[in-house]
Amino acid sequence: MKKASKEMNKYWRIGEPMVWLSGAALSLTLLSAITLLIVIMVNGLGVFWPSNIEEVHLKDGGKIFGQLIKTEENYEKTGLRRQYKIANRDLYGLDFRWIDEAKIEESVYPDELIVLERIEHGDFYGRIKAINTGRTDSPTANLANLLTELDRATIALDHLSELEDKLNDASYRMEQMRLEQLKLDYNQVPADSPKQVQLNLEKAELDKEFAGLIELQTRRLADARKAKAIFVDAAGQEKEIALVDIFQAYSPNIMGTSDKITFYFFKLVELFVGEPRESNTEGGLFPAIFGTVMLIFVMSLFSFPLGVIAAIYLREYAKEGPLVRVVRIAVNNLAGIPSIVYGIFGLGFFIYGIGHTIDSIFFPERLPTPTFGTGGLLWASLTLALLTVPVVIVATEEALGAIPREMREGSYALGATKFQTLYRVLLPMASPGIMTGLILAMARAAGEVAPLMITGVVKLAPALPIDGNFPFFHLDRKFMHLGFHIYDIGFQSPNVEAAKPMVFVTTLLLVLIVLTMSSVAIRLRNKMKKRYTFGTF
Amino acid sequence: MNPAFRKKIKRNDRIAYWVITLGGMAIIFSVIFILILIAEVSLPLFLSPDAELHASNRIENAEKMMAVGMDEYMETGYTIDEDGEIHFFNIVDGSELDRSQLAREAGRKKLIDVDSYGRLNHSLLWEDGSLTIEQVVFRPFFDEANDNKRSILHQVDRLAEFPAPPVLPQQSLARADDEGRKVRVDLFADNRLQLQLLEVTEDFLGNEEVTEAEHLLEVHFKGKISALELSNNGRMLYAGSDQGELCRWDLSDAEEPVLLETLQGFADQRAISSLGLVFGDVSLAVGDVTGQVTTWFPVRNDSGTRVLTRIHDLSQHSGPVQALSPSPHDKSVISFSDDGLHLDHMTSERFLLALGEKDSLTSYAMTTRGNAMIGLAKDGRLISWKLDIPHPEISFGTLFGKVWYEGYDEPTYAWQSSAATDDYEPKLSLTPLIFGTLKGTFYAMLFAVPLAILGAIYTSQFARPRLRELIKPAVEVMAAIPTVIIGFLAALWLAPLIERSLGSMFLSLIMVPAALMISIAIWQAARKVEPLKRVERGFEFLAIAPIAIMAVAFAAVLGPGLENWLFAGDLKQWLFTEMDTRYDPRNCIIIAFAMGFAVIPIIFTIAEDSLSNVPNSLKAASLALGASRWQTVWRVILPSASPGIFAGTMIGFGRAVGETMIVLMATGNTAIMDLSIFNGMRPLSANIAVEIPEAPVDGSLYRTLFLSAVILFVMTFVVNTVAEIVRQRLRAKYGRF
Repeated sequence: MKKASKEMNKYWRIGEPMVWLSGAALSLTLLSAITLLIVIMVNGLGVFWPSNIEEVHLKDGGKIFGQLIKTEENYEKTGLRRQYKIANRDLYGLDFRWIDEAKIEESVYPDELIVLERIEHGDFYGRIKAINTGRTDSPTANLANLLTELDRATIALDHLSELEDKLNDASYRMEQMRLEQLKLDYNQVPADSPKQVQLNLEKAELDKEFAGLIELQTRRLADARKAKAIFVDAAGQEKEIALVDIFQAYSPNIMGTSDKITFYFFKLVELFVGEPRESNTEGGLFPAIFGTVMLIFVMSLFSFPLGVIAAIYLREYAKEGPLVRVVRIAVNNLAGIPSIVYGIFGLGFFIYGIGHTIDSIFFPERLPTPTFGTGGLLWASLTLALLTVPVVIVATEEALGAIPREMREGSYALGATKFQTLYRVLLPMASPGIMTGLILAMARAAGEVAPLMITGVVKLAPALPIDGNFPFFHLDRKFMHLGFHIYDIGFQSPNVEAAKPMVFVTTLLLVLIVLTMSSVAIRLRNKMKKRYTFGTF
Repeated sequence: MNPAFRKKIKRNDRIAYWVITLGGMAIIFSVIFILILIAEVSLPLFLSPDAELHASNRIENAEKMMAVGMDEYMETGYTIDEDGEIHFFNIVDGSELDRSQLAREAGRKKLIDVDSYGRLNHSLLWEDGSLTIEQVVFRPFFDEANDNKRSILHQVDRLAEFPAPPVLPQQSLARADDEGRKVRVDLFADNRLQLQLLEVTEDFLGNEEVTEAEHLLEVHFKGKISALELSNNGRMLYAGSDQGELCRWDLSDAEEPVLLETLQGFADQRAISSLGLVFGDVSLAVGDVTGQVTTWFPVRNDSGTRVLTRIHDLSQHSGPVQALSPSPHDKSVISFSDDGLHLDHMTSERFLLALGEKDSLTSYAMTTRGNAMIGLAKDGRLISWKLDIPHPEISFGTLFGKVWYEGYDEPTYAWQSSAATDDYEPKLSLTPLIFGTLKGTFYAMLFAVPLAILGAIYTSQFARPRLRELIKPAVEVMAAIPTVIIGFLAALWLAPLIERSLGSMFLSLIMVPAALMISIAIWQAARKVEPLKRVERGFEFLAIAPIAIMAVAFAAVLGPGLENWLFAGDLKQWLFTEMDTRYDPRNCIIIAFAMGFAVIPIIFTIAEDSLSNVPNSLKAASLALGASRWQTVWRVILPSASPGIFAGTMIGFGRAVGETMIVLMATGNTAIMDLSIFNGMRPLSANIAVEIPEAPVDGSLYRTLFLSAVILFVMTFVVNTVAEIVRQRLRAKYGRF
């Protein structure tokens, strides 16, 4: 007995269990990270997979068409229940339905079931009943004919979208003229001056052009809407849908695996280049991706040079002393200041301070409608630049500090000036470190949302920050952002359940972007560390 | 070397020196300075109010003037004299614009009393006992023909007329509301209080029905009624007596006015000299003969009835309070006595301004926007002041202390920045928000610190070097996961999961450590067997992973059964009924996991760095002396690296304090002060993100939000600075970063 307790004492003193405990802490940390990634992957990757549609026969005689989402224990804990996506939001009012397994008679997979992706109201599941092309001959109702007709409708739509481009262009010019007019009025140019007269003439002409375009568009649209098809849902309810409202039609039950893979990749492409639909819960992410990239780009333009110059000053030019030490601590600290603080600063200083000043000096005629005095890409980028400058400074300083003194001394000994040493020796050597800092800054900017929410990000931007109209870059415009997209469709959307797939896809995309960027940065840094720590010069 | 070339090089070097020095200094100082600017935005919150003399003109017949008034543009003023004539004049130069007679009947009548209320309404009591309510309306007018020049138009509307009672009253009050309800209250010399009521109701067919009623109100005062006040909608009547008593009637029912209560307001039986209702008609301002101004409103007592309760004590005059009137714009109270006008804000109990101390005013008025005051001095000077009171409702007390808000049963800390009506009392207490921030941070750190530090110890000391090279970057990459993603998963995936399987979650909190203990014990025994002896060390964390997963799976299976057995199937219900704890779906458990997850990599990285920077010689010496590997870590490595671990924890703390997206999405954002782990909270950062888009620029809310940003800034800056200094010391000690 005594011996055993002695053993026990020794066992605790040696502390092997503590080693295991610390190992457990590590594995819990890693496991939670892995769980997070798995959850995102599982929910995100499967979204575009065209799974089969079941025709579920219920015991009470009812029938539904639906895609099985998941099966779990029911509330009464008496059996399993299944969640089906039944789509047809406009007919049923909801997209999903729970059905107890006990109530299901059987489920089959009929070949002729069709999934329609529509411009509005989400998907439609059903059978095709008739096609009415609006011409004299109407083909028999089957998927192949529907697809041919859809192609035809797409061509009509293309024409329409060309028209729409022209319309957008015309309305942009009209807006410019209105602003021009405002400016003239503001400068009190008399109404009979040649400038005003000229402007009025141009305006009248544009108005005419615009009216003509509108009329043409209305007529074409009416024409295009004549082609329709009739579909029936599980209960036999008929629904007539104009072909132009159908984005895509397919029949998952007759698709082979290879077809499905092709389809999947087609949807992925659509995700990257498509416009969002249905208040961002469907369609593509192009504007959000574009906005994110623009934001990071403009931010880097500011934060990279500023950060590098500040770091060079701190490390190479400033005399070491208490002041520099204090500054260094302060700069290191700034990286830890909450991003919302930077955001509120951006709002107070950039938007309400500088922006209002710009407006009152350059665009007084437009007031009280703000031009720069409201959130926009420029201010969001500047705010993020401010937020990431410390990251760049710290990384650059560390990179410069890691270069052995011999390198500098060697350069000086050969007669190089300080600037030459910096430019020819130090900066090239430190470049991986500086790159690391920049990439980390970019990754941070890509994932940061809080400061953007108050400096100009919106759920749906009417126009991209770059377009064909002079001056091409419109930094005063509001923009979309992947991170905010997640927040918006996950929390602000009216139909959260239907929005979930899109949130997970966006999340997956953002995680991939950020993780790739930071892995590259960390690899670069570790390589560099090795080079300086163990390398021989 | 070519001298020209050399010159060029030297010149370049000089240029570079100046560019970099100036540029570098400018960048660093502007980045730091810029953050100071935030504080500058919030500073005006604490500036003291200011009044500036706008104009002063002498008028004739000053002794005949019964009331004065002024438009909010500070251009037109008016006076009403005892002949019932209203004069409009230019404030700045005193020139008369217009005059008209308010008594419409033939034969001139004299005015004996004027009671002003609301937005430039005056109830006029004529010498024959009849009463009219006149409203003065000012309207800006932009003349298009004349280059949009602005002028202020004025007009006088009669809102109501009341016939004379048989006896001339001592004091009369009258109100008329938009729905055609007209109320007149007369106080007669024999302490009788009479109510006259005219109500127009419209039934659903559109037929108007007029109800006329006259009641004698019951009074239970020991003393005489010395002050009266009627609410703006004419539905509540308050009276005060010369014995310090207060009572109130509910006049909403035309058939039956109800005396709600009579109470001894002041124990010392001081006479109440005037009453006034604070903007919003909830609080009653009471002025007494000692010069004290107090505010009261009904508070529910223990038996559930509402009793007028003394809430705020405002300023003290040197003489009896002669008149009290609310600001028509916010919860400020204007009190008038021999020593002039005092302006106090009710909520903050701040004494804002004193006006006209030496002018011996006879009447006064405030503009509808609360931006100016006008007063008539005895010597005939009509004085107007421009007021600059930007944030009267803000004081240290309202920002950080307990405040008794209107309609509350007790003083509380509350944050409620906006409401549906504009006469609400803004509740801008930062205390619940700071509490929310610290609460969320506390739970997150509780989860993150042990995991991160133990994980860092394992990685730096026990793991194989090859694994270490994988783990470290992996955790660093974890730090880059955007918080919006963590927050989204926490709110939409983790929260429902935990809500559904709360029992399993608690069970796994027990099961995982238990399983670990058991498996460690088994392994210790098994290691003595020959083939296992040679299993290398440094892979422990891999071996443990499946055990942890199995424990969680086991708990998930057992959880529902256990919940059934112990808590009748529903732990949340049990918590509510037995423990009196409400379970919010978005609560601190979620925050602990989510924010902890965001903070772990930061603490981990810094702790790991400092642990692995402890010189190897120390470790080698300890091991050579026969210490076990844990003893070495515990007694040698940890003490040397502890400053670094402390720094990491501090920086992680700073990060958790300022984290916005996770708390915004996963806390529920209710500003409650409750330490329970099953409730949510509203932290400073999320509050800023939610409210700043709607805050009017330079308003109190806007500046308060900036102040909360300053608080966040200071909190993180202090914590980070401590950490940074510790870290720099450590670097100096071991010579590496």
